[in-house]
Amino acid sequence: MELEEEAPKQHYSDEEKQNIFNNEFMPHINSMYNFAYRLTLDQDDSKDLVQDTYLKSYRFIDSFQKGTNAKAWLFRILKNSFINDYRKKSKEPSKVDYQEVESYYNSEEVDRQITPDLRVEALKDMIGDEISNALNALDVDFRTVIILCDLEGFKYDEMAKILDIPIGTVRSRLHRARNLLKEKLSEYAKTMGYKTA
Amino acid sequence: MSNPDQSRMKQDCENQRECMEMLQLIVDGEASSEQKEHFLKHHLEECMPCYKNYHLEVAIRQLLKSKCSGQAPQELVDSIKSKVIQNLAH
Repeated sequence: MELEEEAPKQHYSDEEKQNIFNNEFMPHINSMYNFAYRLTLDQDDSKDLVQDTYLKSYRFIDSFQKGTNAKAWLFRILKNSFINDYRKKSKEPSKVDYQEVESYYNSEEVDRQITPDLRVEALKDMIGDEISNALNALDVDFRTVIILCDLEGFKYDEMAKILDIPIGTVRSRLHRARNLLKEKLSEYAKTMGYKTA
Repeated sequence: MSNPDQSRMKQDCENQRECMEMLQLIVDGEASSEQKEHFLKHHLEECMPCYKNYHLEVAIRQLLKSKCSGQAPQELVDSIKSKVIQNLAH
């Protein structure tokens, strides 16, 4: 378990542990649940994933240094648990060849401005589940960077640590993810009668 | 940012790719104050595609924040707390 490798280990008393857990970990429960839900797209799985993550965070609390970013630490555990325990059994293809996906999306083909005329006015009419569905329809790796950055406000260096990828990859993945999201939104806009030509 | 006179703006951006990158740095809070100043106060005032792109990016974020956040079910919160307390007892 990689959490154990992260030095230096602390030796908290039970009272300190409980304080950290209640005051630094639990306040992120809504963000953690939302992240889990957007990853698994299943309510039961997301509850299990969040519960597992919190129990792990407690078990490995001596690897957490007070004063560091608890939210990023928790998100990293959740993401690793998802990859190790949930992604395998989820309905998605058991092994997403990420290299392949990424090289496709890095190609010039996708780099052109896909949806130059998606308009702010069209977004204002998306008062239902359009954006949520558009987000959920993205490949999980693209979904993830949008959640971390746009919803949770993590910085690039924090995202790099959470995802174990270089900052350059964070940026390019975000760029692709946003283009793909706009493409989906633009499809909705078309069905709503907005001209995007 | 003021409301620029749209009729005087450029309709094409010759640096669209670089501008998109800068724009993302700005909305992500990763740009320096000089970069922000230059892009938001100077470039956006005169470049229509970038002006539109910027407002689109901001609107998408607002929509994401208002529609894609969620609350953890109370039963889950309670269950986690009680499991941790049990743990402490051991």
